[in-house]
Amino acid sequence: MGLETWHADALERFGTVTAFDLLIRYIQEGRITLDRSRFPVRATYHDPCNYGRRSESFFGHAFYDEPRWIMDRLFDDWVEMQPSRNHQLCCGGGGGALLTGYEEERLAYGRRKMERVLATDAELIVVPCHSCHGQLGGMIREMGLKNLRVIYLWEAVADALVL
Amino acid sequence: MEEPTATISLEELDPDGFQSPDFLQDACMTCGYCASACPVSGVDGFDPRKLVRMVNLGLEREVVDARWPWICTMCGRCEAECPMRISISRLVREVRSRRDRDRVPGILHKGVEAAMETGNNLRLPKDDFVFILEDVAEELAEEPGFSGFRVPVDKEDANLLVTVHNKLVNTQTEDLVHWWKIFHAAQEDWTVPSENWEGCNWGMFTGDDEAVRRMSDRIAEQMDRLRAKNLLWPE
Repeated sequence: MGLETWHADALERFGTVTAFDLLIRYIQEGRITLDRSRFPVRATYHDPCNYGRRSESFFGHAFYDEPRWIMDRLFDDWVEMQPSRNHQLCCGGGGGALLTGYEEERLAYGRRKMERVLATDAELIVVPCHSCHGQLGGMIREMGLKNLRVIYLWEAVADALVL
Repeated sequence: MEEPTATISLEELDPDGFQSPDFLQDACMTCGYCASACPVSGVDGFDPRKLVRMVNLGLEREVVDARWPWICTMCGRCEAECPMRISISRLVREVRSRRDRDRVPGILHKGVEAAMETGNNLRLPKDDFVFILEDVAEELAEEPGFSGFRVPVDKEDANLLVTVHNKLVNTQTEDLVHWWKIFHAAQEDWTVPSENWEGCNWGMFTGDDEAVRRMSDRIAEQMDRLRAKNLLWPE
């Protein structure tokens, strides 16, 4: 966002690419091949605020379809969380909440999100955001959930690579 | 923390208190859509509508001193529902920016200070950073399919430059390898800078525009220094 706001000149000197678009390009160009049998469990996808509503507000584009296109190539069984996309609930770890020290409030916020996660019966939550990964992983530990794991979207891609 | 008072003395109203037309907070018609969309409505007796009203009334000290703008995660659910398109999450960030820096909660501002002084939130020296990357890369090179893998630190004229989230060279080094595996398989020509590699800008959270600007300045400098063709936006 800083680059967009203050460095339009720099953006004329070099190109930029988002994690989603780069992964999609690798797959479409045949530079990587994914094994869809790698994860024989149900997965769900969490829309981070910053790639959805906030991205829409700052850059005029929300990344909802891109990660889902990748999810389709990774998982036979993945389900939408409700609500999702622009109505999605924040994980509770955004905006620096992991670092403010207001732990009681952060955990209460996270429990609300976890209700939505648990309703999917998924064993794997896929996220493309470091804060969401930290918060949801922390909630899984906090709630002692043995059959649930959070994984980065690019981690799932890396683990499903056919080498 | 004092509860926001239910009644306001007319003497406390300050029409010059929050002159920020960008946020359009004076267009609020108090419908309350924002408050019902907000996951932290009610915490500390606050909700987005109340915040917008308080800002509108110029009650700067009360909102800047409140904990609520820091419990809000600026998720943007409120403003997505707002019929008047008031930029409530940006308003929250503006409120955060008006706190004295030594009263920013938790370690957020300490991280910003570290980044300003050293180029990363951890104050991690360049040699240690490179050592961690190479150490993890050596382990990866022992895995089947990745023999000969090396981290191309400061490679010039690469197609792709990537930044690194500080936690990946702190407590979560096991998560460094995911992108590396993908780059290896895709035969990407990539690089990571040995300095100013930080991909996580806490100034975004603390409302510190100067920090955001300087951190993005530095990324642009690394792009120019190494003549990299494309930047992978920090995740």
